[in-house]
Amino acid sequence: MTSSSAPSRKALSKIACNRLQKELVEWQVNPPAGFKHKVTDNLQRWVIEVNGAPGTLYANESYQLQVDFPEHYPMEAPQVIFLHPAPLHPHIYSNGHICLDILYDSWSPAMTVSSICISILSMLSSSTVKQRPADNDRYVKNCRNGRSPKETRWWFHDDKV
Amino acid sequence: MQSEEEMHSSPEVIDAISSSVAVDDWASFRDDDIMQQQTAIKAEEADKMPFVGDKEPLSALAAEYQLGSPILQEKIKILEESYAAIRRTRGDGNCFFRSFMFAYLEHILESQDEAEVARIRACVERCKKTLQTLGYADFTFEDFFLIFLEQLDSVIQGHEDSISDEVLLIRSRDRSVSDYVVMFFRFVTSGEIRQRAKFFEPFILGLSNGTVDQFCKTSVEPMGEESDHVHIIALTDALGVPIRVVYLDRSSCDNGNDTMTFSTPSEAMFEKDDRKTVTKGLAV
Repeated sequence: MTSSSAPSRKALSKIACNRLQKELVEWQVNPPAGFKHKVTDNLQRWVIEVNGAPGTLYANESYQLQVDFPEHYPMEAPQVIFLHPAPLHPHIYSNGHICLDILYDSWSPAMTVSSICISILSMLSSSTVKQRPADNDRYVKNCRNGRSPKETRWWFHDDKV
Repeated sequence: MQSEEEMHSSPEVIDAISSSVAVDDWASFRDDDIMQQQTAIKAEEADKMPFVGDKEPLSALAAEYQLGSPILQEKIKILEESYAAIRRTRGDGNCFFRSFMFAYLEHILESQDEAEVARIRACVERCKKTLQTLGYADFTFEDFFLIFLEQLDSVIQGHEDSISDEVLLIRSRDRSVSDYVVMFFRFVTSGEIRQRAKFFEPFILGLSNGTVDQFCKTSVEPMGEESDHVHIIALTDALGVPIRVVYLDRSSCDNGNDTMTFSTPSEAMFEKDDRKTVTKGLAV
């Protein structure tokens, strides 16, 4: 399982560094409900605990998100994946890659780690079935070389889950 | 939910290669290869066309369309009556905002209109309040606002950080300044649309069939999303900066060029060809 496929790690730019420090402060004051940031001294990689929302298929389950920030964050999207084991969900591959438009084509610098987390929790909460995407095996096999999900050309066709 | 590879599980992959290793290798590099190619195409485009081009006489445009549609040739002649030169901007989806940035800052640099600078500063302050009222956290937009205000300060002459028109052009071509200013305009545009959602809603429904919120999230705030009338109206209203858009297309030109004026006229211009892959520029 290549759960930690890091993008080519260039140090954060000054502006990215400032922005992330501000995001971290905001998170500490006002964390999104259901999430816990695991404190480390690494500003460029956040590991976040996600708790399934009560009353959903993922209630009482806990998962870990790994967020890697590129040099030019927030102009460029962070790489967000689930660490092993990834939740069983029709948009989440067993290697932790997540098919969610805001992580790729629809990323905007107006978004934050916190807003990403809320979108991911909402994606989990609206799921009606615990299963892998139909093309899971093929996709995961193709990622064996440690490819980042940002190198996938995603095709978003389901706006319900 | 599928990755796009699923869609392209094309028969030739399976037919052509009998060695499973080769299939594996090829299959596992498909997306990477395509994306590398896309990056290479973008780089090639960037070589040919900087974010903001050099000033070209309109005769250069005329020469380009010499063998083209007579309607276009006629329209270029009409353009020559009002404009002396053109600058092209890279067609990367940000061209409207980038054209606006350059045309506005160049105008301030040339006019040294301090009253206008004071006026725009007050507008920018209002836009900031709008975003705060809408619930945007300050840290999401403040860097972008700051970079725009720095550019505005630097085109005013007579102090330490003042820049020449040459440096303005260099900065407009530098991603680390240019993209941040483009994003500043995207914030301003999104704030204006959201704040006046009732006004914009019917236009947005016609364009995208989605809500105002969805439109702002998917068509205004991400970089590289092209601008339409809605964006142009929102930005010019929010900043009170009038612009004129001239469409260069093959529609009949009995009444001269198809011109849209937003607020009162100034100097930004679009040039649109018939295939809708647009070469956009601003006339000066």
